[in-house]
This record gives sequence, C-alpha cells and structure tokens, in this order.
Amino acid sequence: MSRVIVVTSGKGGVGKTTTSASISAGLALKGYKVAVIDFDVGLRNLDLIMGCERRVVYDFVNVVQGEATLNQALIRDKRTKNLYILAASQTRDKDALTQEGVGKVIDDLKEDGFDFIICDSPAGIEKGAQLALYFADEAIVVTNPEVSSVRDSDRILGILQAKSKRAEGGDEPIIEHLVLTRYNPSRVETGEMLSVEDVTDLLNIKLLGVIPESEQVLNASNSGQPVILDEDSDAAHAYMDVVDRFLGEEKEHRFLIAEKKGLFKKIFGK
Amino acid sequence: MSKIVDLKGSILSLTVLNLFSDQIDETKKAIAAKIEQAPDFFVGIPIVLEPQITLKDPTFLALLVEYLTQLQMIPIGIRTEDEAIKEQAEYAGLAIFPREKLKNRPKRTKNEPEEGLKTALMVKNSVRSGQQIYAKDRDLIVMGSINPGAEVVADGHVHVFGKVMGKVFAGSSGDTQAKIFAKQLNPELVCIAGMYQLSEDIDESFKNGFIEISLNDGKLVFNPGLLD
Repeated sequence: MSRVIVVTSGKGGVGKTTTSASISAGLALKGYKVAVIDFDVGLRNLDLIMGCERRVVYDFVNVVQGEATLNQALIRDKRTKNLYILAASQTRDKDALTQEGVGKVIDDLKEDGFDFIICDSPAGIEKGAQLALYFADEAIVVTNPEVSSVRDSDRILGILQAKSKRAEGGDEPIIEHLVLTRYNPSRVETGEMLSVEDVTDLLNIKLLGVIPESEQVLNASNSGQPVILDEDSDAAHAYMDVVDRFLGEEKEHRFLIAEKKGLFKKIFGK
Repeated sequence: MSKIVDLKGSILSLTVLNLFSDQIDETKKAIAAKIEQAPDFFVGIPIVLEPQITLKDPTFLALLVEYLTQLQMIPIGIRTEDEAIKEQAEYAGLAIFPREKLKNRPKRTKNEPEEGLKTALMVKNSVRSGQQIYAKDRDLIVMGSINPGAEVVADGHVHVFGKVMGKVFAGSSGDTQAKIFAKQLNPELVCIAGMYQLSEDIDESFKNGFIEISLNDGKLVFNPGLLD
C-alpha cells in the first residue's frame, strides 16, 4: 500500500524542503521506493537541496499538463537507490496545477509501486499548499520553536482536518505528525525559544522528532545533499530517528537538553 | 353558531388518466377496453387527465371529455405545463393542476442532530487557529482546547475541557443566562450576550484552573470556586 505524505507548515522558511529531502532519502535508505514531489511551483527548491537541479528536463507541471510522461519527469537520485524526484517548474506558477492533474500523477505513482509519495508543500495556506495536502494520508507538520510558526502550524492542521480529500469524503482523518526543527536547547533555557512542551501542548499532535539547530543543515543544503546523509551531524541522527519513529519504532527523543560545555571545549571550541 | 360555508385545503386521492396517444379513436378504444374489465368501478369517478405527449389536434380534449361523460365518468381537470393544452382545457371546461414538482429536500449536514433533538454540539478535538464553530440554538461542548486564533460561538452555554486561548462567545443571540465553563482560561476574548472582556482586562488570578463565567447586572463575573 502506498502512503501519501504531505510535508507542510503554513509558515515559510521553517525547513519543509530540508525535512522532505531528508525523510525521503531516509526512507529510501531503508529500502523503500520513494517519490518526492516539489509542489512549490515557481520557486523550485527541492531539486537544489537534492542536488539534481542540472538534471531537470521535464517537471511536475509538464506531467500534470500532459506534456511529458511521468517516467520522463521522474529524476532518479544518484546517491540513494529507490529515490525519485519530481521537480517543480521554475517558469510556471501555481495555477498550472489542477486537482485532477495532481490526483492522476499520484495515482500513477501508486500504480508504479512507490511505497511512499512525499509531497513537499509550498508555504502559505493558498491553492498550492491545499493541493499538496489534498491527497495526503499522513501529514508531517514542520514547526520552529517560535510563536508565529506554531500558530501557522495550528492553522494548517485545521485545514488538514477540513479541506483534504479524506475530510471531504468522510474517511479516516489524516494522521498528523510533528517535526520541530531549528531547536536550540540553550536558547530554550534562556527563554528565547519555545520549549518542546510549549509546542506540543498547543498543537497536541504526536512528536516525530526534534532537529537541533545546526550549521551542517545549511552546509548540506548548499552542497546539494540531504543532511540525513551527513553522518557526522546531529541533524542527520535526529532525522534518522524521525524516519525510524515514522516507521513505527519506539525511540527516545534526543537533542532536547543543552550540552554542558566543559572547560576544554570552551577553550578549544568544538 | 354553525357556519354557512368554510374553505379548507384538503388532499384528495384522484384517478389520473395518462394519455400516450394524440389519436382520439385509438384512445377511445383503449379506454373502452379498460372499462370492460371492471365496468362498475368507473361509474361516477372523478378523473384527472395527464397528457404525456403534445396534443396537436385542438378538438382532442373536447372529444375525450364528451366520451368520458358518456361513460359516466366525471373528468374534472387536467395536469399539464403545456400552454397549448391549457388553452384547450379551458374550452373543454377542465380545471388545471400544476405538475408535481420534485422537491429537493435540504440535505442534513453531518453535525446537525435529528430534528427536534437539540442537545449540545460536541467537538471532540481542539479547535485550531482560523477555525470557527457555531452552535446554533444550543450548547457547545469542546473536548479539546480552543487554540489562539480560534473562535467558538454558542447560543447556549459553552463548556471547554481543555484550555481556552482563543475567543469564546456564549448566549450569542442574547441569552443573558448563558455561561462559560473552562478547565483553564487564557482567552483572547470572552463574551456573554454581547458583554465582552479582553484578556488584559481579566484578572490573572482567574487564569489558572477551572473557571465559571456568567453575566450579572451587565457585568461578567468570574467564579473560580465552583469545584472547591
């Protein structure tokens, strides 16, 4: 059975695309066949982070509009087996996507035997974001530990409950997961950031994992590889935990407490 | 005192004669055949005609009425929307009945209870930012929290088993007896029958633990001691 997962947030710049890239790569590393679709038509970020922006010939919009076949547009990832990317168009806008068109692409992917279809949603709550979540079975809501991001996530959770295909058809509701990114425990201690409890208290959905704020995330994005593949970084471990928990494993949450820097570390840095 | 006359609407059951042919001879023969099966049954019964085709022959109705009368039936009217047939019917002395319309019954939405039953509207989860819930003519029970940016409105009382962080309106159609109950209150706004108070005007001591809010003398009264 294919599972359609939307990665969404409401607010922009919280790490949706980073999370989409890492989770899809992580699932592919586990041996699942994964397709990741960039719904952010007009901006196109996913292909950059996945390092395949120079290999895009046909994109998602071409497929939706029938100008290319799905197989022509799916880009096979070079590092990870079983991982395929459907890039967004840079030259079109979000109106180029239609509900029927998107539905057909997702049905075709299901037929092709993909285990997971990850929809990387654009920011906002308008058409693009609604299309990305419409066909979802599960949702991963990405939030930063600050008030406006949490509020926007609350809003998008309301939309998930009201405007998805499952909601309209009266089926089982979308399963909701939370990923808290850019978490910095020492700034939480000083009260500059919301704590995990503050966020889960308000959103009241299952926490899939906390990704620590880390330079490696930016470095990985800039070098065009999902951060989950950078085995030296905390963020990669955190994302791997997220993938394990997503697949049903019980794992204790990490990276929640500020590391006490010893004298040695204080003098010599990391 | 007894009335001389009285006009009343009534629903009667009448026999309808459906017409599928505009040939008078053919039609007469078919009617005769029908009557032969049970001659007594048709004597004196009122008949309503209902043509299922357009009647091109302008004398058709007059001839048919005459024939039915001969057979001791009483044609009283015709059911049609066709203007030409209506005109013929006038000459033949028939009343005109409008065709039955299929009424589209408004579909009941999911949350509404059976008619007549007006228990509280129950919301099982939290009400999230941007969502609005209205319990018309009844109470509202929210099992979760009312998150910031969410709004709940009830014509009756409002009960919240989570935290209230959004806006709450009770007695929204003017019931001053309506109350708000909440497990914990830190709202953007509370309002009963039009009297409202913003978060900053609510004493901090009311913002931890169970609270009951009612309206007394045009003022909102906060009572934290109900469960003590």
